[in-house]
Amino acid sequence: MPKYGMMIDLNKCTSCQACVTACKLENNVQIVSEDDAQNGRAMFWMKMLTLEFDGDYPNIRPKALPRNCMQCDEPSCIKVCPVRATYKRPDGIVAQIYPQCIGCRYCMANCPYTVKVFNWDRQAQPVQMEKTYDPDVSVRPKGVVEKCTFCIQRLQKASEKAAVEHRKLEPGDYVPACVEVCPVDAITFGDLDDPKSEVTKASRDYRAFGLLEELGTVPKVRYLNAIE
Amino acid sequence: MKKYLMLVAIAVGFLAGIVLVNYLVGRRESFVQPIDFSHAVHAGKYKIPCMACHQGVMMRASAGIPNIEVCGACHSTPMKKTPQELLVYKYVSQHKQIPWYSIYHVPDYVYFSHRRHVLLGKLDCKLCHGDMAALTSPPKTQFLQIKMQNCWNCHVKHGVTTDCSHCHR
Ligand code: HEC
Ligand code: HEC
Ligand code: HEC
Ligand code: HEC
Ligand code: HEC
Repeated sequence: MPKYGMMIDLNKCTSCQACVTACKLENNVQIVSEDDAQNGRAMFWMKMLTLEFDGDYPNIRPKALPRNCMQCDEPSCIKVCPVRATYKRPDGIVAQIYPQCIGCRYCMANCPYTVKVFNWDRQAQPVQMEKTYDPDVSVRPKGVVEKCTFCIQRLQKASEKAAVEHRKLEPGDYVPACVEVCPVDAITFGDLDDPKSEVTKASRDYRAFGLLEELGTVPKVRYLNAIE
Repeated sequence: MKKYLMLVAIAVGFLAGIVLVNYLVGRRESFVQPIDFSHAVHAGKYKIPCMACHQGVMMRASAGIPNIEVCGACHSTPMKKTPQELLVYKYVSQHKQIPWYSIYHVPDYVYFSHRRHVLLGKLDCKLCHGDMAALTSPPKTQFLQIKMQNCWNCHVKHGVTTDCSHCHR
């Protein structure tokens, strides 16, 4: 059984936000109304956390940290879910079962990374978004919590495709949309239990660290950054 | 007396409302297929394989209802000139799709794949759809109701995963 994880190299990341866009389209993440956005209800599964701005105007370069669900090995969100709508799969992905969710938002309150989002409302999406609708992912109704699932629909399809071809799932068969789209290959994704995988090698880099690791959540999305 | 009449009027109005709502809702449930398609003729008598028309069963998630080009392969000229057959011929000659009504649907939050069940699981269509080759008219109700319990029971029987996120998305 693999254990999926992700390493994000902040020294390579240019803060272009391609991952943010790809994620939003891949997963039919709702575009909320202007009022809701102003009330801090904008919805993202992958979001940039702005850290600082390098340089002076006009040669300014923002430094931001792409932040999705950390897919913790010891998730604090699942411990408080009263209906088991969120749980950790054997392969390490923290899944979210939308029809099971009752919208109590305990999991959101208990997530130290604040990466879970709530459907406060269901807006009619702009007409331009019709063509980007992804039939592989359900549209979450109002009153449901959602978050990054490592594009679990891609795993569903990839494992079926591999089974049809009578082979095991190979590295690269299944990657989330953000990994695929990153123009500088700053994100590596794969099996943390495979000692030869790219992601395992990256996680052994001296630059590796996780966010709020002292809490004991054991995030499986970690970062690389050289401290100058 | 007047008050009494008014109460009766309200009660009658109320009942009429219920009947009307029931009628409207009921009408939405029932449907008429544009053509009285017979699986018994095609799949039964002429033994056309299911895959010839439902081309997705081995390759994709959805089985798919055949489009008019598939019918056109055989119905480009009327054979026995029965009224139903002439109807098909009309659609074929005008290159118009037949607006079939499909009764088997999983909600969008469920992932169901025919390729997984038919090609990999080697399951017979009969298990879920009944004996289609014996039907002389399009089915009106689901054979194996699309309920989570039904999926679940068979998965338990075959030792297949019942992890929520394998079916839900
Ligand atoms: C492989 C050839 C073939 C294909 C493809 C085919 N049919 Fe037929 N169909 C036949 C034959 C042969 C008959 C004549 C059966 C008879 O009357 O004995 C027939 C008869 C019919 C009839 C008349 C039956 C009756 O009760 O009068 C209808 C309606 C019909 N087909 C609809 C369709 C539709 C709709 C499609 C496309 C989804 C289609 N067929 C595709 C071979 C075909
Ligand atoms: C394990 C149960 C199961 C088996 C076996 C199965 N089906 Fe289905 N079938 C379903 C379900 C569930 C749906 C609804 C799927 C959906 O909404 O995507 C469906 C839908 C369909 C539809 C409507 C498709 C559409 O695109 O609207 C057709 C046609 C169909 N099946 C044909 C077949 C044929 C032919 C076989 C055998 C080769 C088969 N099925 C085997 C469960 C099954
Ligand atoms: C000649 C083409 C043809 C063949 C062969 C054929 N079908 Fe169909 N099938 C259709 C058409 C057209 C419809 C849509 C009309 C209807 O519901 O009957 C349909 C509908 C269905 C549906 C109902 C789908 C829904 O959602 O309403 C099922 C289930 C189905 N077929 C299963 C089968 C199975 C199983 C076989 C093989 C035994 C088979 N079909 C062979 C043409 C075909
Ligand atoms: C008649 C028995 C039967 C029924 C009914 C059935 N399944 Fe299955 N299902 C199977 C079998 C057998 C497999 C394993 C196929 C294989 O070998 O990969 C399977 C596999 C699956 C898988 C892939 C599991 C994995 O390993 O990722 C999914 C998803 C699935 N089924 C969903 C459904 C859904 C949704 C329904 C109900 C609409 C359903 N099934 C109904 C027998 C059934
Ligand atoms: C084998 C496939 C399968 C598995 C495994 C599965 N489900 Fe479902 N589930 C379905 C299907 C199909 C439906 C839609 C049909 C229905 O409403 O029963 C559904 C519907 C639901 C609904 C909505 C019911 C309603 O009436 O609106 C909930 C809630 C749900 N599932 C929760 C879960 C949870 C929690 C798990 C894990 C313990 C789970 N499901 C595992 C197939 C599955």
